[in-house]
Amino acid sequence: MTGDNEGLNELLAQYRSACPDVEASVDFMPRLWEKIENTRSYPLIFQRLSRVLVTAFAAVCLLLGILNVMPSRAEAASRFASYIDALSADASVERAYTQEASRTTVDLPSEYLDQE
Amino acid sequence: MLVEQRLIDQAREGDSGAFNQLVTAYRKRILGTISRLIGRPEDVEDVAQEVFVRLYYSLDQLRTAEVFEPWLYRLTVNASYDYLRRIKRRNESRMADLSEHQVMMADSAAGGKRNTEDENKAKVREFMNALFQHVSEEDRILLTLKEVEGLSLKELEKIYRVNENALKVRLFRARQRVLKAYESAKANGNL
Repeated sequence: MTGDNEGLNELLAQYRSACPDVEASVDFMPRLWEKIENTRSYPLIFQRLSRVLVTAFAAVCLLLGILNVMPSRAEAASRFASYIDALSADASVERAYTQEASRTTVDLPSEYLDQE
Repeated sequence: MLVEQRLIDQAREGDSGAFNQLVTAYRKRILGTISRLIGRPEDVEDVAQEVFVRLYYSLDQLRTAEVFEPWLYRLTVNASYDYLRRIKRRNESRMADLSEHQVMMADSAAGGKRNTEDENKAKVREFMNALFQHVSEEDRILLTLKEVEGLSLKELEKIYRVNENALKVRLFRARQRVLKAYESAKANGNL
């Protein structure tokens, strides 16, 4: 076990020297700054997008609110009609029914008719 | 400390020249550490750049310039850990994902020259990477920082922000697992 421990220690030391000292490439700094700038621009894009979306949603909400408050044409007519208008409208319907009834003739069966 | 505290303070205030100097001063050390942590020389520079990008955006969170080095190590450990997790998830067998040994064999078969020393180093890396498969990515990094990088427990305490005893226990268990894998490799004649 101790021998294996030493063996492992030796192997770890070999591993240390087997991992080469990596020299940075010539374009290390330019590439680094490019990455920094790219990372910086992502939040900006999201910020702009969120601003546009918030404005659009606000406009849609406002439009829906206005449409909700504005009464429909029929509703407006009924709201602003006077009591007399309502009565006359109602009477005209009734009159139409009466006229229809008087115009209708009913053919009764013969036994109901007077037999002279 | 490789740089003066004043330079760190200037970089924290957004001085890009000071940040450049900071990167230049620590670049070599960070590249070396990452190389030993991930064991893949071809990806070291990308991981190092990730570390410095994270450093740039987190400098304002640094409380004092005195804790700069453990902070930088912490960022290095996190970026290496993320990288190791990422490559573990990748299952495709592309040329870039083949083991170094396989790539070297492919190169030599294609008519390239074989450098014995380089090949031996690649074998050692390959073998250690195989042994590290027996521990988690976190333990691999902890073990490498202690046993290969030679960091003290005090330094590790600052990086991991856990007490020394917890670190000792974790290191002991990780080492035992690697040792067990080493013994079985030896018994199987793979060494």
